Parts: sequence; structure tokens; C-alpha cells
Amino acid sequence: MIVCEDLSKHFGNIKAIEEFTIKIPDGQIFGLLGPNGSGKTTTMRMLSCLINATSGKAFIDEYEIGRKNDNQKIRSMIGLLPEVPGLYETLGAYKNLDYYAQFYNVPKNKREKNIRNMLTNLDLWERRNDPVGGFSKGMKQKIAIARAMVHEPKYMFLDEPTAGLDPEAAKTIREYILDLKSKGRTFLINTHNLAEAERVCDTVAVVKNKLIKVGNPKELARGLFTRTVCVTLDYIPSSLVKNISMLDVVSQVHADGNKLFLNVNDPETDNPKIISWLIKKKLNVQFLSEEEYSLEDVYLKLIGEDDQ
Amino acid sequence: MRWKNAWILARKDIDEFKKQKLVIGSIIAMPLVLGIVLPLVMFVPAIAMAPLEDTWDINGLLEIGDFEGDHLDPWTNQTLQNISLNSTVIYYTVLKNVDLHDCVLVSCIVENSTLSNSTILNNIIEHSQLNNVFVSHSEGIELDGKNILSVNSDLAFTKTKESEAAAFLPMALNTVLMLFIIVPATLPTVIASYSIVGEKNNRSLEPLLATPITDGELLAGKILSSFLPTMISTIFAFVLSVILIDTIFFTQLGYLPLPTLTWILSILLLAPLACLMSILACVLVSSKVTDVRAAQQVGGFVIMPVIVLMLGVVSGFILLSPLTILIFAGIYCCIDLGLFYFARAIFNREDILVKWT
Repeated sequence: MIVCEDLSKHFGNIKAIEEFTIKIPDGQIFGLLGPNGSGKTTTMRMLSCLINATSGKAFIDEYEIGRKNDNQKIRSMIGLLPEVPGLYETLGAYKNLDYYAQFYNVPKNKREKNIRNMLTNLDLWERRNDPVGGFSKGMKQKIAIARAMVHEPKYMFLDEPTAGLDPEAAKTIREYILDLKSKGRTFLINTHNLAEAERVCDTVAVVKNKLIKVGNPKELARGLFTRTVCVTLDYIPSSLVKNISMLDVVSQVHADGNKLFLNVNDPETDNPKIISWLIKKKLNVQFLSEEEYSLEDVYLKLIGEDDQ
Repeated sequence: MRWKNAWILARKDIDEFKKQKLVIGSIIAMPLVLGIVLPLVMFVPAIAMAPLEDTWDINGLLEIGDFEGDHLDPWTNQTLQNISLNSTVIYYTVLKNVDLHDCVLVSCIVENSTLSNSTILNNIIEHSQLNNVFVSHSEGIELDGKNILSVNSDLAFTKTKESEAAAFLPMALNTVLMLFIIVPATLPTVIASYSIVGEKNNRSLEPLLATPITDGELLAGKILSSFLPTMISTIFAFVLSVILIDTIFFTQLGYLPLPTLTWILSILLLAPLACLMSILACVLVSSKVTDVRAAQQVGGFVIMPVIVLMLGVVSGFILLSPLTILIFAGIYCCIDLGLFYFARAIFNREDILVKWT
């Protein structure tokens, strides 16, 4: 488990992150969302024992970040994908991965097996000995991800894992992450790709130099937005909007074409009442669905509110 | 400190150097120039110009006239052995193991004796010491001594005067030896300066620092990767140079002038320590600056202690001997240890990561 308690980092007068408190249970994919300069990378670097916190504490399992004897143990438990791949460009993909695996004491046979599996999964096995300097940005990113995972760490910190990847490669990486998650690995992912975060993250934290909100993407949306039911009718009489707004279960209503959008507090209880009322009015209900708010809506609302 | 981690990092760096043909080329070429071209340029012309052999003139020996072989063979009628004589004239006698002072010897055979302040006429002299003597119409072999005036005689002495080659050799060898210390100190400065700041510029330092490698292991790995290729090529050049110099001088001197203890100590002790000193200083600078050029510029100052030694030797102020080498090795060793602990103490992962160019 990863625990941050009031973790802060200041660079001189600049407060990169303030009083950041989260808990990431084992086996979860935790997304850190926030605009550029919001402290996501700083947080990841603190958790990777690369920089020291100004105040607060953080723990990975029983080890405390920043404590000299624990730092090395933490670094042996994590795999880090930084913002920039940072590969050794004159060396081949295989050697790039092999040297890193050796730092983690991965036995030779296992190293060979892991590297072969990873490069095969990422469609790079055939080019394993080519200098990576000649690779595309996406290919380099794949190797950097493989490097973070080559020693099969318990915790993986990925900064923008699918940035610069084509959709197919991004899908491969996502599936790879989900596969590792199913094997009990824990991920902390910094991303601007909200759709991706929504797809893979169990929990997301929206940060802007402090923690703004943390939770499951769907729960966050429910907490932020009133739930909206969309009713599609064969036609909408002119008086309908005014009449239906009289119902006590409906807080707000508007029509768009033959669709009626109703804000309700509890659709599970209120929808039957609304349908009954419409049937009584001899209106034909074609479809009934709940309007979904994306993580992007949640993110923009949270960041917007914070700006105000 | 786990040396395994340092070795992994050093192997990675060396693998990278191998791909940089100019870098590895310069590391190999410089010692070869030093080991082969320099001895050829320095010694071959000197040997070509020097006379092949120059008989030693015993101090004060003055030879007048030519020995024409017209002297009379000495006629002997008695033998004197193991005695000491003063102010005596001796004729037609075999003298063995005698000590003669202020004597005149005419037509004698002298063996294993010492003759001082004497006159020697028509003698055969072997294995003897002659001091302040006048020799005329005599033959001699295996002689030694000083202040000898020889007239119409054929005297051969055991000692020969140092040939020009032998006289020229020590200074030239000292110069070559100094180069064998300066080159390993200068050669790795470029790659050592690049070591950490290069990783920083490539952005490969962050994932490296996130591995379990410690600061000491990282520094040791970076030092090893510069040290090993430099010292391997230097020792290879040293061996070539020794073979070449020995080949050039063997016919002149009749013995192999190298390797001496001073040379062996220098190459096995002083050169590696000078090399380490230079690398340590460059790695230290490399971890504190944000630009490769700055690292190289500042790193250039680090060979000053080696330059001091070279200037001292060339000017004659410092005489190279095994003791001198051991003293300098001790000084360099202290500097190296100080630099390593200082570099480790000021190595700060956060500073390095945050202060990007």
C-alpha cells in the first residue's frame, strides 16, 4: 500500500505540491490528473525517492520515503517511467532492458525470458539489437515502459505512459497494464489522457498543487453533477416541459428535439414515476437513458472551480 | 558498496563508448602514439647520430705516440708474489699480487697488482690498478686506474666511458615516463566529464537514479568506465614502448635498459593514481554542472598535480627514483581518497534532477 500524509514539496517560494494525502491499496491503478505544473511529476519523484519532501510523510508498504535506509528498499520495489524515455540511444533495445534488470538482481535466465516476452508483446523483438536512437518516439516509449517493468516490480509509477503512442500501441500498453494489475501489481499513473484514465484507473486524484478531489471516476461525476435522465418520445407537446416540471421529483427540465432532459435526484426511484406520468398523458416513450458525465467533464469542472 | 552494481554501470558505459568510434579511437590511438611513435621519433635519430662505441679514457690518461710493437719481450728470471715494495727498480721479474709505490719496472710481467707513482717500461701488465704512472712500450689488458701517461703502449681498460647513447638515455626515458603518467591523466577527462552531465542531458539519469544503485556505486561505476579503457590502453602502450626502447638500445648498451623498478612502480602505481585523480575530479565537476562543455572546461585543471611532477622532473628539481615515485603515489592516493569522499558527500540526486539545463 502507498500512503501519503500531508506530503508537500517546495522549490524555494514555489509550492509544487501542498499537503497531499492519499492511500493507494495494493492491486489498484491510481491516476493523478492535473494541468501542467500541478505537482504530479514532483509527487511521483518523491515517491520514487528521487527528491525529498519538504514536509509530510509517505510510505510504501512499511518503508518510509526519505529515510536513508528505506530509500534503497523502496527503489528496489518500484519501476519508474519518467516523462522522457531517457534510453541509451547507441545501445539496442535488449541491452537497454538487460542493464536495468541487472541492477535489480534479476537472474540471467529470468531476464532473458522477461525481455523476450516484453519485446515480443510490444512488437519490438525483431529489432532488439538495433540502436534505439533510430526508433520512433512511440517505440522508445514502449521500451521505456518495458524498462520500468522488466524486473516485475510490485509498484509501478508511470508518467504519461501512452503519450506519443499510436492508438494501437496505446491499447497494447493499456492491456499490458490491466494484465499486470490482474496479477496484483499497483500502478500510479500521471496522465493528461482523461479517457484513458477513465478506462484503466480504479481511483483518480485531481491535483493542482494540492489535492482537489479523489475518488472513483464515476463517483466523482455523481458527486459533482445532478443526475440527468434523457427520455425520447415520438413527439413533445408544447405544454409538456411546463407540466412535467411541476412533478416534485424533477428539479430541472429542458427539451431538445424529441428528447426531454430531466434532472432528478434518484433515478432508480424517480424514473418509474416519470414514466407512469408520461403514459397517463398518452405519450409514447421510445427510450429512457441516464446521461453519463465523462471524466473530462469532472476534471474541467473541478479545475474550473479551483481557478475561481 | 556493491561493486556488482558499479561494474554493471561501467559495462553499460563502455558499451556506449564502443559505439562512439572517435571516442574509443582516441583512447586507443593516444597511447599507441606514445608507445610506438614517440620512442621512434625520440630515440632512433639520437642513436643514429651517436658514435657506436667510445673507449673510456681513464681520468687523466694521456696517450702519446703509437705503439709499434717494437718493444722487447720481457725476460724473466724470478717471481715476486704478495709483497709490497717502495722506491725500487725491478728488472725482468714476474710480479703477482704486489703493491708497488715509487718504483721503476723494466721488462716485467705484472699480474693482479697495484702500481702507484711508478714508471713502467717494456712491461706486460694484466688485471692491475695503475695510479699516477708513466707507461712506455708496454702492453696491458684488464687495467684500471687514473692519471696514466702512456707512450707507445697498448693498454686496454676494464671500464669504458659511458657512450653518448647511455648518457642521453636517463633524461629521455624520464621524459617518456612522464608522458606515461600525463596521458592517462588527460585521456579520460573528456569521457569522465561527460559521465554524469551526459546522462543528465540524455535524460537517462532519472530512471538510473530510480534503481537501487547507491551514490557510491554510481560514482564508482562512472569512474571505472573511464579508468579501465584508459589504463588498459596505457599499459598496452607501455609494454610496446618498453619492447621498442629495449630493441633500440640493446645493441648500444649491451643490456636492456627497461623496465626499471622506477618505471614499473610508475606504470602500476603512479599512472593509475594520476588517472583516478583526473577522473574523480571530472566526475565530481560533472555531477555539479549542467553542461558538458562546462564540465570539460573545469575538468582541464585537474591534471595540475601531474604537471607539477613533470615540470619538476624535466627541470631536474625532482629526481625520479622508486622512492620519489612512492612519495608521489602517496600524495596522489590521499588526493584520490579525498576527492572520492568529497564527490560522494556532495552528490545530491535532487539537485542533479531538478537543475536541468
